[in-house]
Amino acid sequence: MNDELYMNERIDVIATFGEGLNPCRPLRFRRSNGREVTVSEIGLRHPSVQGKRTLHMFDVTDGAADYRLEFDSERLTWHLTFEGDHYA
Amino acid sequence: MRDEYNAETPLVMHVDLNSAFATIEQQARPLLRGYPVAVINRRTEHTAIVTASYEAKAMGVKVGMKFREAALLAPGLIGVESDPVKYRFVYKKLMAILNDYSPVTVMKSIDEGVIDFHCLVDRRPMTEIGYEIKQRLKDEVGQAMRCNVGIGTNRFLAKTAAGLHKPDGLDEINHMNLRATLATLKLTDLTGIAEHNQARLNGVGIDTPLQFLDSDPVTLQKIVFKSIVGQQWHQRLRGYEVDDRTSDMKRVGRQYVLEGRDLTRQQIMQRLHHLCESVGSRLRSQHKVARGVYIYAKTADRQYWHASRMCQLPFYSNATIYGLAEQLFYQAPGDIREIGIHCYELSDDNDSQLSLFGDVLAREHQLVEALDTINRRYGDRTLHSADTLQTGNFIKQKIPFGSTRYL
Repeated sequence: MNDELYMNERIDVIATFGEGLNPCRPLRFRRSNGREVTVSEIGLRHPSVQGKRTLHMFDVTDGAADYRLEFDSERLTWHLTFEGDHYA
Repeated sequence: MRDEYNAETPLVMHVDLNSAFATIEQQARPLLRGYPVAVINRRTEHTAIVTASYEAKAMGVKVGMKFREAALLAPGLIGVESDPVKYRFVYKKLMAILNDYSPVTVMKSIDEGVIDFHCLVDRRPMTEIGYEIKQRLKDEVGQAMRCNVGIGTNRFLAKTAAGLHKPDGLDEINHMNLRATLATLKLTDLTGIAEHNQARLNGVGIDTPLQFLDSDPVTLQKIVFKSIVGQQWHQRLRGYEVDDRTSDMKRVGRQYVLEGRDLTRQQIMQRLHHLCESVGSRLRSQHKVARGVYIYAKTADRQYWHASRMCQLPFYSNATIYGLAEQLFYQAPGDIREIGIHCYELSDDNDSQLSLFGDVLAREHQLVEALDTINRRYGDRTLHSADTLQTGNFIKQKIPFGSTRYL
């Protein structure tokens, strides 16, 4: 089995809000330990409805690990919920 | 009965995502691309593989194989736990794309759909539409997404065409290349012909799809399939539509392989209760009621035990389903490794029959409806029995194969 880590870490994110099919694009995020990660590719973005709230799941990579960022569209908060770096 | 091949312009298109769940994982997690990936339901080595990526398939990994065995064939095989929410999202995207081309679009399963263009007057070339769908899938879902497109005069030939060049193929089968195409296939390459039907066909000297195509409809009906199915195959192979029908829902069920061998009877009953809640929810989501409950258990020494009960009045609530299952389960043997339940004798929930217990039933109906409304709004299993408080940690939402009813 591979090395995956599930968490619920509050993060700061720099994102752009533009046009097109995927208007919101996270570019860079800072973890609670201060480490900054630059997003090199957004793999998939899908919504998940939880009651009245809609969470937007962004599966992204920085080229060294895969991450999942969750954007809460009601509270306007970002969380890092997954990290996987197991493929080398 | 038509003996000639269907010579009309092919107007049925079958779109099939390649190794769907593995491809979606490779799309979502770019670092998985190019590696052998197996989608599994549990993160253990004993679990069966749900989907394998093309890289894994090229190394001999097959769907249904145990992960541990597959890892021997494909060193470095990466096991990824299934994520049904993600797959449902891609399914809806695919459905939206296909619906843009014709009002007659049917999703056959979570990863494949059929578009029928017969009803359209202003038609574009089918191959052009096929390539456009491939590009839209990349633009609207992701660049790693690939699909097979098959074009034919009926659903069967369109699906057969979609399987000719995996991954990312686009093929058409028409009356002119039908024989040449079938000549390249084995009997078991045809959808609907597995080992059992192959043996039946071999029994009358039919060993290839071409011999199947050339066979006499009377032989197929009276000797091989012993039913109208023989005639249907005769027409299907010639490109005439015989599969344009919907099947009735006969039963709804779920099963679960216990997470350990040391569970107490009470813990097993809690898991059965969880399955009953899941089955009840699915039953009501289709606006159905049931009259029968069937439960089974498989033991560690591969024994199969089952029991069932039919009721005079239809039922639909979780409490009633579990009440019946609980009574039946008292007779179950020990040392169980798998349990399952399904409800049968389904009918529409039209609630029209008068009953002596009308007020009691009406109260139950309102209560169940209120619970379902909350669960629909706030998520599955927001409200459930206290008995199943812990079971959700073990019994996860499963990927619905084969049917799109619960998507």
